[in-house]
Amino acid sequence: MRALAVTERDLRRFSRNPVLMIASVFLPLVYLIIIGNSFQGELKHLPLAVVDQDSGPYSRRVIELLQAMQEGSRTIDITMLSDQKQAFKLVKDGFYKGVLIIPPKFSEDTIKNVNPQIGLFVDNTDSISANGIVNIISRSMPYVKTEYVSVRADRAKAQFRPVELFKKIDYDASLVPGAIVMAIFMGTTFTGAFSLVMDKFLGIHESYLSTPLTKMDIVIGTIISGVLITTIMSFLVLLGGLFITGLKLAGGVSSFLLLIFTISLTALGLLSMIFIILGRADHPRIVGVVIGFLNVIFYFPSGAVYPVESLPGWLRAFSAVNPERYAVHAMKALILKGSGAAAIQNDIIFLAVFTAIMLFFATITFKRTM
Amino acid sequence: MAYAVEVKNIIKKFPSVVAVNDVTFTVDEGGIFGLLGPNGAGKTTLIRILTCLMKPTSGEAKIRGFDVVKHPARVRRNIGVVSQAMTSDLDLTAWENLDIYGKYFDMPRKERHETMEYLLETVGLKDRARDLVATYSGGMRRRLEIARGLIHKPYLLFLDEPTIGLDPQSRLVIWELLRKIRSETKLTVFLTTHYMEEADKLCERVAIIDYGKIVALDSPVELKRSIGGFDIIELSLSELSPAIMERLRSMKFIKNVTEKESSVRIYVEDAAKAMPALIEEFKRLNIAILNLAVHEQSLEDVFIHYTGKSIREEEAQKFNPFVGPGLPRQMPGMRV
Repeated sequence: MRALAVTERDLRRFSRNPVLMIASVFLPLVYLIIIGNSFQGELKHLPLAVVDQDSGPYSRRVIELLQAMQEGSRTIDITMLSDQKQAFKLVKDGFYKGVLIIPPKFSEDTIKNVNPQIGLFVDNTDSISANGIVNIISRSMPYVKTEYVSVRADRAKAQFRPVELFKKIDYDASLVPGAIVMAIFMGTTFTGAFSLVMDKFLGIHESYLSTPLTKMDIVIGTIISGVLITTIMSFLVLLGGLFITGLKLAGGVSSFLLLIFTISLTALGLLSMIFIILGRADHPRIVGVVIGFLNVIFYFPSGAVYPVESLPGWLRAFSAVNPERYAVHAMKALILKGSGAAAIQNDIIFLAVFTAIMLFFATITFKRTM
Repeated sequence: MAYAVEVKNIIKKFPSVVAVNDVTFTVDEGGIFGLLGPNGAGKTTLIRILTCLMKPTSGEAKIRGFDVVKHPARVRRNIGVVSQAMTSDLDLTAWENLDIYGKYFDMPRKERHETMEYLLETVGLKDRARDLVATYSGGMRRRLEIARGLIHKPYLLFLDEPTIGLDPQSRLVIWELLRKIRSETKLTVFLTTHYMEEADKLCERVAIIDYGKIVALDSPVELKRSIGGFDIIELSLSELSPAIMERLRSMKFIKNVTEKESSVRIYVEDAAKAMPALIEEFKRLNIAILNLAVHEQSLEDVFIHYTGKSIREEEAQKFNPFVGPGLPRQMPGMRV
């Protein structure tokens, strides 16, 4: 079959580039490690200035609570300052993430129960640290009037206990599906249409255009080799990801097979889409620009790093037609939850329809003449 | 008798230039046909039309009786193409290049491998067949590409500037190779070149194309005869005037005289016989011969006769100013 000869040519050529093969598996894993460790860390040692203008029993109680937090969870590092103005300046200059002001009549108000207030001023240019400080201070303030925390809980009070349905999953482990999607995307960008672009750039496409190869042979043959390479690469990234994060595949053989199927289908869809866009390009520079752009618009709204639910309306609308979103959703279900076919049915339907449309147009728009 | 190639009133227009302008000719089966022309004359465009890589604006072209526009698939099965640019895969070995190419033509494995063995032997690459083409010299790569063009035993082989950029040794090897193939098979070869020596040595018939038109078509011998004289005596004289030119033209044994700056080119049938009379005449006119060169008329002279000496302003390649030369250039006329 002629199309398979095209595939064979691509595979053989790819096998002569071992550096590319290693890099293509290595890069998504490096990405996994870096993103996994950049976003998941708990906040520690946030510098907080405290100005005590009260020096009463309850202001001391507040400071004790803060010191307890400093020793315990190490979320904050507190520094006592006497000058309120200077404290504000130091926050402005970035030496502290916030300043806590205990006003002069705080203890008195607390004793009289007349709405005692503490001022907390945070550097909201760093919203994540600011939120962190606000959270822990507001959590601890109810205990100001309590000398000790009762061991026995109040039976009348409703208890809230979160239950995790699945085995505990660290943030970096939850990124494994994202790393695979990234590997798929990368794979589709240096196989498939890209090899045709390189042929044109090197001027060697003329050699097969004068053979009986049909348009279909060239498109299908090139895409098959792309799917094979991309699937193998993504599989290696999956193994590497599991090894690095210590995650174990949640499902059995059937989930695993579904996973491989999802990877291949996603690769096929993306390869076809890129074929439409790059089918007529003849310079690798164009590929660089287009791929950089596509990577950003498909990857970040895919839910791979942050939930799709957080996106604003317009971006969520785009995300609804983003194939990577469905790939991520399906792979999260298969890898992290071990779900079966029913859970990913909609994802597969979307990906299949997307792939069919893209493949159709890839074949139509490809030009066989010079 | 059937023609290997039949071209009737082929025109190929690009927005800014007519690359092929109403060309008509035929090529007989067997033998080597040469298409000569300066850069930008329309050779490659014509080859691309004949190899179904480009559609003509109008006109008709047939290969072995199959129309290149109506039956491109049939035409492709009958032709082998060695294009001007090196088009073998550097990342593959010679063997793989040929094997995969053979598969494009649906050749069964046994037949494919037998032909490959034979061709690799013929082009002298048998010992290097398992090496990557990236390690090959230009001449080796070209020989491989000729082998590749022959893998499916085509009826007609197109060679677009087969020896361009090669050293004289590699060129000789390729000429030998083509002669060998021609003597062993019934293959017809359609060759373009602007090396006149190449056309002279290899081709039975030669067409000269310039500005998209065929300006001469015949055997090299006949073409040389057609411009008059066989030998050229080139002289630098101490003086040159219209009267002297007139005197030379009136001499019986001189076929033609042309003048360029201070030198004259005298076309005669036999230089050895003409020389004494010429020298005698100049002595009589009291004109000194400052420099003298005799050369046999070559195809080069024919070529210059028909195409002139001016260097061609080649059509500048267009590119899109917004994205630079990397734009898809497949719009008609973007690449001539």
